[in-house]
Amino acid sequence: MLLPAGTNPNAWRANSPVVHERCRVGAGQHETYTLAVSIPLLLTLVDAGVRLGSTTVLRNLSLELAQGEVLGIEGPNGAGKSTLLRVCATLLPLDTGSGTVFDAHLGSPGAQSVRPEIGLLAHQPALYEELTLRENLSFYGRLLGRRPGRVDELLDGVGLSAAADRRADQTSQGMQRRVDLARLLLIEPRLLLLDEPHAGLDSAAEKLIAAVVADVLGRRGAAIIVAHDTSRLADLTTRRLRLERGGLT
Amino acid sequence: MTFWRAAGVIMRKDLMVEGRSGEVLWITIPFGLIALFLIPLALPLDNPLLQRIAGPMYWVILLLFGMTIALRRSAVGTTPQREALRMLGIDPAARFTGRVLATTLLSLAFALVLAPATVVLFDANLPTSWPLLLPIVMAVTLGLGIVGTVAAELTRGLRTRTALAPLLVAPLAAPLLVAAAQATESLSRGDSILLPALIIAFTVLGLAVIGVLTAGPLEETQ
Amino acid sequence: MKTRYVLSLLALAALGYGLYLSGQHPPDAVQGEYVRIINVHVPASWVAFLAFGGTLLGSLGWLATRRRRFDAFAAASAEVGVLFTALSLLSGMIWGQVTWGIAWDWGDARMASTALMFFIYLGYMGLRRGMPDETERAKRSAVIGVLGFLTVPLSYFSVNLFRSLHQTQSVRPDGWQIESGEIVTSMLINVAAYTLVYLVFVTWRTSQGMVPADTGVGSDLAGDAVVAPSLGGRDE
Repeated sequence: MLLPAGTNPNAWRANSPVVHERCRVGAGQHETYTLAVSIPLLLTLVDAGVRLGSTTVLRNLSLELAQGEVLGIEGPNGAGKSTLLRVCATLLPLDTGSGTVFDAHLGSPGAQSVRPEIGLLAHQPALYEELTLRENLSFYGRLLGRRPGRVDELLDGVGLSAAADRRADQTSQGMQRRVDLARLLLIEPRLLLLDEPHAGLDSAAEKLIAAVVADVLGRRGAAIIVAHDTSRLADLTTRRLRLERGGLT
Repeated sequence: MTFWRAAGVIMRKDLMVEGRSGEVLWITIPFGLIALFLIPLALPLDNPLLQRIAGPMYWVILLLFGMTIALRRSAVGTTPQREALRMLGIDPAARFTGRVLATTLLSLAFALVLAPATVVLFDANLPTSWPLLLPIVMAVTLGLGIVGTVAAELTRGLRTRTALAPLLVAPLAAPLLVAAAQATESLSRGDSILLPALIIAFTVLGLAVIGVLTAGPLEETQ
Repeated sequence: MKTRYVLSLLALAALGYGLYLSGQHPPDAVQGEYVRIINVHVPASWVAFLAFGGTLLGSLGWLATRRRRFDAFAAASAEVGVLFTALSLLSGMIWGQVTWGIAWDWGDARMASTALMFFIYLGYMGLRRGMPDETERAKRSAVIGVLGFLTVPLSYFSVNLFRSLHQTQSVRPDGWQIESGEIVTSMLINVAAYTLVYLVFVTWRTSQGMVPADTGVGSDLAGDAVVAPSLGGRDE
């Protein structure tokens, strides 16, 4: 929508990003209008705080993630990056503050219903050691109701067709990470949460991360990538923040 | 994904994992058999005594060693595995049910191997109506599966898990043990097994209801 | 605080009076002087089951409301319950040994179900140990508190079934009646006294359980404990 000149766009919008544009209106006349574009927010956190035992992990943390954004969050060891991701995934409740994911309030029963829209890549892969790579993906595929052929397509896509029948405990960390990324593609999420996605991946496989992110963005989603150093992700991220002492800067 | 379909997929996965690890086949079953073997070794040579205690010993071994099936490592799962299932939006009760069904089938296999071994080692006289014991065995293994799965969930992540979980299971499974032993005794006397069967059924039903109702709260953890 | 003091004084007075009556009433026609153990065994058994019920109510209350007070009450009730269950079992075994020559009567459904309850309490308390997270501890304890309560009456019925079908196995004479009204009065006074003691202990332990694990002020902040390492690479 167009706002008349002089309108404070920040007063108008509560949460949506605003794009300012200077438009030509009428022949020979120039007027300045503000073009306000409402971009849906997929995730919001307002003064969020999390304590684990007697330790405050996150405090007064506010965050917004709009559709189409790829947010990089970096920080030192123990800063709470993984905890933040788990809060965003609705796996960890907030002790203070509030938040929403896909408009569902964190901590409400509705928050659990949006979990299938979220893809979380944790430090350790969610694979069953005794099962083969194909069996692992097929298990998740069955739960998701995906067609059987999709599993082989994904294994091929992540470069593991030849190792598909190898047990997970007989594969390297990098291979397991690739399969875990394939699992995310199987889920087809709209919110992607990646915790140190580069860990264990060789340079050839790093482009997989870009592929997964692109897949989510193509579904009008967004992503948060957490890493010690997000400069490696400069091409991927649209915004970078630093998490330190429980808060974002 | 319907409740029972999800439970079926999880049960199938658990059975596949167990099939590959072989913990029940190569460790639990031999362990139970050797326990069954040690009892007559410790008793004086007295065949009538052995025949008399065959039934109760069978149920005790099934309880004590069968509970380890529910507490096996692969049944609990790692944190990333559990979180991945939570993120898929699978009903915790369906996940619980799938685990219970897998554990029950494995326990049933254990029970079916143990039965002929008991008959042979204790020179037990099988009553002519022994097929009536089959539904009793199935119900008891289901009850054990439920209690064991709940205990495994309660002790997840605790350092004392190995000792604490059996401590929780044993007294909770006591009604099953007593009623099953009574059913065996009644059958050998030619009496009705209706009352013990009802106690077992009621116990299993109560455990199932509580297990399913608490599956959700127990799963929502840090 | 004042209520607790008054309750404690009442409990002490009741215990004292109960002890006095235990020594004063006449011996039983069947059991002689050994009947006085009834003034410990029956009240202890009553409190043991009362405490178990308290743990059940506290567990259900926490599951429904997530309020700390219910968890603190359930745990306090379980702790007191362990004490009185042990006392019930011990006094029962002594009574059985001196009266009927056998410490443990497998035909007695009450003793068997009390023993099972004791083990469930131990499991309950074992579960709470080594779980620093309050919510997790409360949640898991609540589940075992409810589950345990289901199985105790079922165990009682199962063992009773055995006893009814194998009457000769029970060593206690069926249909034994307390003939003296004074013994009954003494027993009931002791039941009331033990109940007051239960209430005193439980209220005290519940209030202790309500003390927060930490005040939050000055609590650790994640990441503060991690600084840049002092060990570096080779000197240039």
